[in-house]
Amino acid sequence: MGDSQYSFSLTTFSPSGKLVQIEHALTAVGSGQTSLGIKAANGVVIATEKKLPSILVDEASVQKIQVLTPNIGVVYSGMGPDSRVLVRKSRKQAEQYHRLYKESIPVTQLVRETAAVMQEFTQSGAGRPMLGWLQTILDFNVKLKKTKLRALGNMSHKKTLLGVRPFGVSLLVAGFDDNGPQLYQVDPSGSYFSWKASAMGKNVSNAKTFLEKRYTDDMELDDAVHTAILTLKEGYMHLKLLFF
Amino acid sequence: MQRKVALKITTTLCTKNGCLDAGTIERVQSLAFLIPQAFVANTQRSLHWFLRLRSSSIFQVCVMSKAVVDVPPKGGFSFDLCRRNEMLSKKGVQTPPFRKTGTTIVGLVFQDGVILGADTRATEGPIVCDKNCEKIHYMAPNIYCCGAGTAADTEAVTDMVSSQLQLHRYHTGRESRVVTALTLLKSHLFSYQGYVQAALVLGGVDCTGPHLHTIYPHGSTDTLPFATMGSGSLAAMAVFESKYHEGLTREEGINLVSEAICSGIFNDLGSGSNVDVCVITKGHKEYLRNHQLPNPRTYVSAKGYSFPKPIEVLLTKVTPLKEKVEVIEGGDAMEE
Repeated sequence: MGDSQYSFSLTTFSPSGKLVQIEHALTAVGSGQTSLGIKAANGVVIATEKKLPSILVDEASVQKIQVLTPNIGVVYSGMGPDSRVLVRKSRKQAEQYHRLYKESIPVTQLVRETAAVMQEFTQSGAGRPMLGWLQTILDFNVKLKKTKLRALGNMSHKKTLLGVRPFGVSLLVAGFDDNGPQLYQVDPSGSYFSWKASAMGKNVSNAKTFLEKRYTDDMELDDAVHTAILTLKEGYMHLKLLFF
Repeated sequence: MQRKVALKITTTLCTKNGCLDAGTIERVQSLAFLIPQAFVANTQRSLHWFLRLRSSSIFQVCVMSKAVVDVPPKGGFSFDLCRRNEMLSKKGVQTPPFRKTGTTIVGLVFQDGVILGADTRATEGPIVCDKNCEKIHYMAPNIYCCGAGTAADTEAVTDMVSSQLQLHRYHTGRESRVVTALTLLKSHLFSYQGYVQAALVLGGVDCTGPHLHTIYPHGSTDTLPFATMGSGSLAAMAVFESKYHEGLTREEGINLVSEAICSGIFNDLGSGSNVDVCVITKGHKEYLRNHQLPNPRTYVSAKGYSFPKPIEVLLTKVTPLKEKVEVIEGGDAMEE
């Protein structure tokens, strides 16, 4: 496949017009734990399986579902550390919005800003502080595969040098504001969609099929919670069946 | 700090150029030795010294490090415009008056928590610009802050720290502590060297108990069982000093605070109008806005106010300014 040559560098398109790194990021998401969200008539539910690597892990310390504002929450599938960075940035964005407009941030705005952050990391090294000359010093200490770096040369090189990669998480942002309950899924590429019900991570196809069958537009919040749990159980059951 | 920075640049670049011969290393080392002395005198001069070495890479470095030298310090008050302001005031241009809360703000610790009180007058020089402003600002669900001084400064500072506390709460998952707010406020005020004129009384109840602090515009703080700030602080403090005792009940505390504020309202020109009170206890807070209104508008004329009658209309005549000319030509073939 001609794509393989282009799979290292994030900032190079492959001949088929894809950014292969983002495809790989989506694979990373697909191998993460299942999480799903359902929009009900009077609220939104997000749920995820909290699977710990061992029984010795203190489960109270692991928080997969995080609060961004008093009326917006988020769950992720994929790499936990990446999600922490995004949660931190989103919280800060929400706080800055509140300080500026004295109004709690609408869900769409927060999703847009989070998606913008994720997109930045697919195009440039944005998000890191501009270190200027120090950056150039650091550049010298990195060994490049093929290119020769001239002293104080091309500044554009530094963006591919310092290992910037896309986020390896997809987020499900659930919120309730003036426009009612809302559910958004944000992908590593920075694209986001509003969903009535969505799932991501392992077993996503089974989960989505199950949700499609069970979802109704006038669902109440309690029904939605029940459905969410059943969907998660379904995925779990499938796994169990595979082993036997 | 700048010295170290320049040193780093030279050494790294020299070696990377590939010329790892003894000569270069020697040169670098001699540079490193001579730099401190040069820097002691003047950074500019040492840079010129670099240039004389005639090494292209080092020359380029000098240009870079000069840029480093010009980087402004992060945060804090920037004194860039002070000279210009001085020059302007000498020429007679006066700074515009700003809104101040010539104020009485008080706080005291009672048996279950903290009570804060404030008056509600905001002044612009000799004029009362707001007869019912809010001086007790929200910091956290369990922490409130009264502000005296320049109104914009107190509002901006408390707003900013309130935002920071909220982010901190999200990250730690815990209730904010009063000392956290205290430290954030004092370090901000200190970095602005007193130019942010905000004198604050910070009070709240957290997991370690009730706390009351005062923060001065330069960044110093006090921890006290009862405190007053603002232009009416002496009047209020007189009341506190004579009547405060430990173990006040809620009613006693509120009455004492109201009395102190009223003393400020009636004896200080910079304070007036109404009394605001805020009671904070463990897990509960009560913001009593306009708890007392000792300055109602008493005299309203019974007759009402009569304004002079408007002039009667005797005649109406409209004279258009331009004559409307209608041009009739042999119409176009297109019309009709």
